[in-house]
Amino acid sequence: MVVSEKEAKPVGESKPRIDAREKVSGAAIFGDDIQFGNALLHARILRSPHPHARILSIDTSKAESHPGVKAVVTGDDFPGYIGLYLLDRHIFARDRARYVGDPIAGVAATSELIAEEALELIEVEYEVLEPVIDAEYGASPDSPLIHPRLEEYQVASFILPQPESNISNYFKIRKGDTDNAWEKCTAVVERKYRIPHIQHVPIEPHVAVAQVDESGEITLWGSSQSPFAQRNLIAQALGISQSDMRVIAPYVGGGFGSKAGVSMESLAVAIATKVKGRPVKLLLTREEEFFTAFVRQGLIAYFKMGCDEKGNLLAMENKFYWDAGAYTEYGVNITRASGYSSTGPYEVPNVTTDSYCVYTNHPVGGPMRGFGMPEMHAGLEQCIDELAAAISMDQVEFRRINCLKDGDTLVTGSKMHPTGLSQCLEKTAEAIGWGHKGEPSAPNKRRGKGLALMWKAPAMPPNAGSSAWVELAEDGRVTVGIGGQDLGQGVFTVAAQMAAAALGVPFEWVKVATPLDTRYSPYEWQTVASRLTWSLGNAVVNAAKDARNQILDMAAEAWQEEPENLDILNGMVVSYKSEREMPLKDIVIYGMPKPDDQGWIGGPVIGRGKFMPDYVTGLDPETGQGERAVVHYTTGAQAVELEVDLDTGQVEILRGASAFDVGKAINPDMVLAQIEGGFVQGMSSALFEALDLKDGYVQNPSFVDYRIATSSDVPGGIQAMIVEVAQDDGPWGARGVGEHSMVPTTPAIANAIYDAVGVRLEGPPFTAEKVYLKMLEEGVVK
Amino acid sequence: MSFHRISLTINGELEQADISANMTLMDLLRDTLIFTGTKNGCAAGECGACTVLFNGEPINSCLVLAVECDGTEITTVEGLGRDSQLDPIQEAIMDAGGVQCGFCTPGILISARALLDRNPNPSVSEIKAALVGNLCRCTGYLRIIESIQEAARM
Amino acid sequence: MNAYPKLPEFDYVRPESYQEACQFLVSHAGEARPFIGGTDLFVQMRDRLYKPKYLVDIKGLDGTDKISFDPSHGLTIGAGVNMNRVIADPDVTRHYHVLAEAAESVASYQLRSRATIVGNICNASPAGDTIGACLLMDGVLNVFGENGERQEALSTFFLGPGKTTLKTGDIVSSIAFPLPHQGTQGRYIKLGRNQLSDLSIVGVTAVGYPDTSLQSGYQFKLALASVAPIPLVVDQVGEILGREAVSEESLRHAAEAAMEACTPIDDVRGSAQYRKYMVRNLSYRALKEVWVKLIDNVN
Repeated sequence: MVVSEKEAKPVGESKPRIDAREKVSGAAIFGDDIQFGNALLHARILRSPHPHARILSIDTSKAESHPGVKAVVTGDDFPGYIGLYLLDRHIFARDRARYVGDPIAGVAATSELIAEEALELIEVEYEVLEPVIDAEYGASPDSPLIHPRLEEYQVASFILPQPESNISNYFKIRKGDTDNAWEKCTAVVERKYRIPHIQHVPIEPHVAVAQVDESGEITLWGSSQSPFAQRNLIAQALGISQSDMRVIAPYVGGGFGSKAGVSMESLAVAIATKVKGRPVKLLLTREEEFFTAFVRQGLIAYFKMGCDEKGNLLAMENKFYWDAGAYTEYGVNITRASGYSSTGPYEVPNVTTDSYCVYTNHPVGGPMRGFGMPEMHAGLEQCIDELAAAISMDQVEFRRINCLKDGDTLVTGSKMHPTGLSQCLEKTAEAIGWGHKGEPSAPNKRRGKGLALMWKAPAMPPNAGSSAWVELAEDGRVTVGIGGQDLGQGVFTVAAQMAAAALGVPFEWVKVATPLDTRYSPYEWQTVASRLTWSLGNAVVNAAKDARNQILDMAAEAWQEEPENLDILNGMVVSYKSEREMPLKDIVIYGMPKPDDQGWIGGPVIGRGKFMPDYVTGLDPETGQGERAVVHYTTGAQAVELEVDLDTGQVEILRGASAFDVGKAINPDMVLAQIEGGFVQGMSSALFEALDLKDGYVQNPSFVDYRIATSSDVPGGIQAMIVEVAQDDGPWGARGVGEHSMVPTTPAIANAIYDAVGVRLEGPPFTAEKVYLKMLEEGVVK
Repeated sequence: MSFHRISLTINGELEQADISANMTLMDLLRDTLIFTGTKNGCAAGECGACTVLFNGEPINSCLVLAVECDGTEITTVEGLGRDSQLDPIQEAIMDAGGVQCGFCTPGILISARALLDRNPNPSVSEIKAALVGNLCRCTGYLRIIESIQEAARM
Repeated sequence: MNAYPKLPEFDYVRPESYQEACQFLVSHAGEARPFIGGTDLFVQMRDRLYKPKYLVDIKGLDGTDKISFDPSHGLTIGAGVNMNRVIADPDVTRHYHVLAEAAESVASYQLRSRATIVGNICNASPAGDTIGACLLMDGVLNVFGENGERQEALSTFFLGPGKTTLKTGDIVSSIAFPLPHQGTQGRYIKLGRNQLSDLSIVGVTAVGYPDTSLQSGYQFKLALASVAPIPLVVDQVGEILGREAVSEESLRHAAEAAMEACTPIDDVRGSAQYRKYMVRNLSYRALKEVWVKLIDNVN
């Protein structure tokens, strides 16, 4: 995929977003903005009030006869299972409710108010069951089973559910010999960390509109990261063919993983199947967003790690209990991804990891930015700091010694590809002024600096694919078809840049075919995993090259020259040999005349391309070892300088520094914007965020008491830096960075708090109260 | 429930509507008059995605009744700028890379416009205070703050 | 857990005079509520805490939209004057700065475009940010009721969370503050979960002015938000800082007294234990800052 330098532009340039003007003018259409006219029906969902209960009976008769109600559905109407990696979920709960908020029934009516009135008329009889609200308890043999028929569920081959348990995936690493490694260690650190549930909090709540036409074809409009996956999973669950369903995905007002896979979209589709012809809209309230959409699962993590007197990491032993919630159809892979990344970005010869995905009667854990990495690094990177301290070594020096270098052996036995992790570490340490302590700004403040490293691979099936098409018009301009969604990260813009560069046209000539529409857009697995720039990028480049080849082959024949001597520059076909030139617009539709004027060559140019990695191997289910577990890892570092107020425990982030190895920054400014935005989302989760779960109930399902970072909380500056060590199979060497910038923030802040006041907490959020009471407990304040 | 006929000026044009007492300004704008630039993020006055100008002052349109808006002048994001010319704050936020998913953007632009109207040269802390009622989850706010400083210079 | 908060149905009524408003409220007793800004009320109605059949909009009644200052009488803020206007008012800044400081800490600019001082008081949340300043600056409510006009002192106004001495038919038209004592200094410190915005975990209002009738030469006052069922004035603070020369020791002693006096509870925003310590630490900080400003003034 190496493309010569002269073809690079506009790749590597900070081109302005192609969707910016629409967004600033208010013209951009999001899911709830689409106008459906008076035919639109409104859906509301009756949700389980219990975290765990058998559903004994549901009587919908009064609701059905309420004026204005057009359909009432329950789990009885939809027997199919639905899920991405594990089919453990029904569209509406059938035999039992497994979390507060589990959909029990759905109503479509002529107004939201009527739909809500109808919900009150549905009578449900429950038999309340003991809820499982702790992941370790849930994993133990004493715990009641939330999915007694777990072993009957269809499951992807690389997910390993444990029958007769609540463990829907168990991933192991057995590498080297940890048992005997401890005695060789000069220092050993053993810690437990509790990472709470948080939620993605996209500013746009989930929305889905579904309509079934006379032939039974379903159309789904939705705020979606995954139109093709939604079509696939919902079609399978309803027992219909994928091609009988169409998904249209307008602009997404923030996803962060919450709008991937299938969550509430299946509810709208299911209800719509009972109201032939009329569109049915389901718009989540913000309250529903907090506890009934995907959340980020909680984690109880046990770390044990040891090093020799020179600071070389010798052994790690990890146990992860993922509090994955009522359904783990997506979350199971987080258990696996954290397992195969469980050393963090370090070379460790002896590793034992047990990673358990545990069912609990909590909200449904799904993919959230980082996919297990933020939760894991939160504790791991603190242990690294503590291990360094135990041998009186500087924390940066410790990481310098141990961080992955090219060719190192990874936790799965695979080899590390070329990586700029060391560069990220050095640049970040320097930018934050590591080793120098600033003066506190007031007598009641203490200042501290902290740093953390991270790594993450795209977590996905080994055969997740991308495809693209490139079409030209009579004006020579280009439309690129992709199936990847712009969530704000900028993929539409970089797709246009890559197509322009690979084809040879100005950036301004390229449009992307939006909104995504499975009827016309080419297949894309999902917009997750920070995989698009790399995977979709390759597909776009292949499609552009295909178009380019068609054009050059046509011109070569028409001009009786060799295609190798021809090129497309700035929208012009040129010959380096004869110096002939021809603007694209004259030839890309109507072709070119044969040399002897006896006919025509060419025709409408349309390029197609695909990309699917072909080298990911499996992992041994007993040892987690394999030739190549993942496609690649993006690595990086983050550091913060902060102050702790001794009177209140408040933590104020003064500044941040952050570097990531992105291989090649297709649009450098957008990469920097991801680094900044992820830092702040990471900081928000570190300082403020937790779903306050009590007996299975979310106590704070609103902005009033689920706090996120506001403009007043941001540091004075974030120095974002790009490192480029090429990915061998990335377009121009690129790999992704969308998630990674949120991963090291919590441990960097935790390490800085320790540097400032000498305390560590069992887990985030590091609220003022928790910091203060810990300082009180440790005698730092009175 | 009482129903009312109201007339109000939106982005310089006179509009009229028959509304129920419990309809919010946000519902009137989005559902009845189809000004969908103003967004619904929480319907509880917390996120600021629904921010519009009410007689020149930024308010959460989800917490104002439509009936309270009779005889008022409302400006939404669609009313910023003139003809096809964008408002300096719209240009600036694009230039600074302060737009990602774009959902918070209309509310942010309204708050920023109002800030610059009352304080043409705001400090960083004044900007932060003015934006605290507009939640953004994508950008991390720094480029938005820069863009307001830039617009102040224009 | 209410997944579908929504404004219920109601009749919107906009009376043209105090008499008309009062009469309506009385004849629809128990079913009608007066409102101005709505920022608290609509949220509560949305959450199904209130379901009034009639909402009586008192915006536009005489005097509700006025803010006026007169050097001989003091400040009068109409019930409908939004907080942003109060903050920007030069007389408030000059003479009642602590009130502006407290108002500026409320929520967001957008909410302050609708929220009012009188509304904050009538909502009677123990977390109300501006209530402490109003209490310590001796605010008096002008009330129009069934029996005509009267004044209500704030010191006896609050009965419990959301409960005041207001009766059916009462409409607060304005709040009046006497001219503050010469040399008055004040400070409002609010502890929230974010740097700005948020409801208070603890709010401390401190006011002080020179008073030669006291041994120390200074009268101090302290009010606390979010640590008792009502906004709490801690009288002991004035006693401790009045009876002997102000010192580090007496300031700390006063802060300890504030900590003793308050009765916070555990809630989702903070624990009682943390709130007690914060009352101590932030009362000390607020009183110290007022003290420094007072002696700076003299010099």
